Amino acid sequence: MNAPTPTQTRQRSYFVDNVQFPFCKGCGHTQVLRRLDEALSALNTPAEQIALVTDIGCIGLADGLFRDIHTVHTTHGRSTAFATGIGLADRVLAGKDLRVVVLIGDGGAMIGLQHLVHAAMLNVPMTVLICNNFVYGMTGGQGSGLTPERFITATTPDGNITPPADLCAILTGSNAQFVARTTTSDTNFPDIMRRAFASPGFAAVEILELCTEYAVPKNELTGKMLAGIAEQNGWALGVLRENASRAPFHVRYAEAVRTSATPKVREHGFSSAPHAHQLAGPVSIVLAGSAGERVQSSAAALCEAAIASGLYVTQKNDNPVTQGSGFSLSEVWISPEPIQYTGIERPDIVVAASEAGLRELTSRGTMASVSDDTVFVVDESLAVSMRTRKLLPLSLRKSLGPKDAALGGLLAACHEKNVLPDETLALIARYRMGDRAKVCEGMVFSV
Amino acid sequence: MVAEGAIRAGCRFFAGYPITPATGIFKAMIDALPARGGLALSAPDEISAIAECIGAAMRGYKAMTATSGPGWALMIESVQYALMTETPLVIALVQRLGPSTGGATQGAQGDLLLAEHATSGGYTIPMLAPSNARECADLTEIAFAWAERLRTPVVVLSDKEVGMTTERVDFTDGSSSPETYAVGTNGNNGTYYFNRPGDIPLFTAVGGATRVIATGSAHDKRGKLQKNSPETIDVLRHLEEKIRLRAHELEIVVEDIQPEARTLVISYGVTSRAASSAVRLARDSGLNVSHLSVKSLFPLPYAALDRALKGVESVIVPEENLTGQYRRIIAPYIGNRVLRGINKIGNMISPSEILRAIRVTP
Ligand code: SF4
Repeated sequence: MNAPTPTQTRQRSYFVDNVQFPFCKGCGHTQVLRRLDEALSALNTPAEQIALVTDIGCIGLADGLFRDIHTVHTTHGRSTAFATGIGLADRVLAGKDLRVVVLIGDGGAMIGLQHLVHAAMLNVPMTVLICNNFVYGMTGGQGSGLTPERFITATTPDGNITPPADLCAILTGSNAQFVARTTTSDTNFPDIMRRAFASPGFAAVEILELCTEYAVPKNELTGKMLAGIAEQNGWALGVLRENASRAPFHVRYAEAVRTSATPKVREHGFSSAPHAHQLAGPVSIVLAGSAGERVQSSAAALCEAAIASGLYVTQKNDNPVTQGSGFSLSEVWISPEPIQYTGIERPDIVVAASEAGLRELTSRGTMASVSDDTVFVVDESLAVSMRTRKLLPLSLRKSLGPKDAALGGLLAACHEKNVLPDETLALIARYRMGDRAKVCEGMVFSV
Repeated sequence: MVAEGAIRAGCRFFAGYPITPATGIFKAMIDALPARGGLALSAPDEISAIAECIGAAMRGYKAMTATSGPGWALMIESVQYALMTETPLVIALVQRLGPSTGGATQGAQGDLLLAEHATSGGYTIPMLAPSNARECADLTEIAFAWAERLRTPVVVLSDKEVGMTTERVDFTDGSSSPETYAVGTNGNNGTYYFNRPGDIPLFTAVGGATRVIATGSAHDKRGKLQKNSPETIDVLRHLEEKIRLRAHELEIVVEDIQPEARTLVISYGVTSRAASSAVRLARDSGLNVSHLSVKSLFPLPYAALDRALKGVESVIVPEENLTGQYRRIIAPYIGNRVLRGINKIGNMISPSEILRAIRVTP
């Protein structure tokens, strides 16, 4: 990608002229940035096609050192997540190939571990340089999750007693396309950088380096000792994963979109348009039954028919947190006028299609709110003694089966209350019940 | 319907994490965006979701995420980053009962102050509150226009009762067409260049021909990190000024005013519905009462508030929270009028409860 065009002159460096590194003398960040600049220069990518995303910490000062490239200085640990958004939008939406580079320290890598893992799993094209100097430099040399055992830091004055995480192992386990670990004194460092930048997907390089201000004085550290620290902590060095065959996210996404079935626009399934309604005022309905018995979809079918008849509706559903068990309930308003308040204080219709539904009606206070005029349809198996004059026990479960009991009860109640013309109710029955619609119509319209 | 509005506004990027009662928006975007050349992503958490959206927005694409109170709590860090980097972004915050995990399937209006006061420094986060499905679509579309125009994150504040109630929606009365604002470049003047503090810098996308220097740290107009320089303080003032100066252009309210009314109901979100019913019942029984249903909660619609308060002696603010969050915001602006709240959690405030308050003249 980004092959130099004949008219381009070779980019010698992306640094500002006479670059002054703001880091302490001997700080590993200076070497990392020099290697980064060399790697980018070797690729000769036009500056406006590079985005450098930096994290918080000393390494986050890097963006001020570059000329012409896009720089995005982010919040602590989140750099990879912002880079993921930039990279995905660039590849998927713009169809371009912006080179995204992330600079993050050991502190940021651990705060934002989730984002590193996510970018690796998605395989978003970017190069992440994790500058692991074992301490938080900017805040005074505190220990991080990548501080070696026995290491002395401001927060581990007697030596770190917690073994550090193996970040590369985590990223390898997250299917990262390219993972490597190196040190600033490793002669292979430039080559590892070159290979990381050649990777077409997510590439991460953990670079062990020196914080001369805090890590070095307390631990008598030198650059030559970095490889030894890696060994003592079980951190393998070199290229640890290079999976060239794994397609980046945008390639897989384009394929998935191309082969996806065309999305269907759902329309109501009534065999003909419902009849004009004669409803004079708003009607409130509480329909209760058991999970898995098509309670809410029955209410929805009634609502769709009502809308198709020119009425306004609102529908609210409720069920226990685990959606597949216990009760299932819908609260519906149907009205010739736009509906404002959707709460139901005195229901006009209540339907209890099962034991679980009836229990829920009792516990939420619906039973207590039933008035003399409420049409109350229950399955005949349920013991209900109500003060309403319109208690209708019907053979819902036995004659229609559990999956159509709720709809049967609902249609019976709507017939009784003249919510919709019988022709429309019959349409709903035929649409939802198929063969059983005849039985239902017989029962419903004889009410 | 929030998703519908987002699509109409031209949203191309969505990253989300499931949370009741906002999951429906996530699912709708997953279903809708791929076929429209967009991308809807399942993020591993809310922090990733919003950061990925901000990244996509910086790259130049309209982006949105959706969440509820617990997810918003995680997003606040990045909301501030979007504000500081002047990145357009829409966040749909569908409220549920809090605090903490609270009640996932119960509505509430308890996140208003948490959402508005999400920044260190207390910057204004423009906020729109729909009361019904149609407004979810329309106000989300407007939220995108505001986000782009103002270069800032905009919140669409709904709740479980608004977001998870299915209702008839009619778009045949002509839907608003999305406004688009200049995407351009400030040239060599810098990513955040403005002339007067109230001016809004032209948005420049990362990855374009003009260099972008973006940062969440205090910066000058070029985006360079600076401590306390006068220019940096100017930039920080500008972040508020650009919104404050346009407050009068950002007022969206439904005014139902009776000139002779001495009582005014101020409502927003789901409670506007009960308030409308209550006002109608009150008038049916011969009472005079005005109703201001606020859609643009922030910046505060000062002019509409002034108009509605004319001749009014008593103000009632019904809210589904215990402490009267919007009431406290309005309080300094109502002079010596009597201010009363109707506050309740766990259930919607009903028209009869509001009617009772209207009937009691203080
Ligand atoms: S404190 Fe440490 S990491 Fe920071 S610049 Fe100095 S040496 Fe480098």
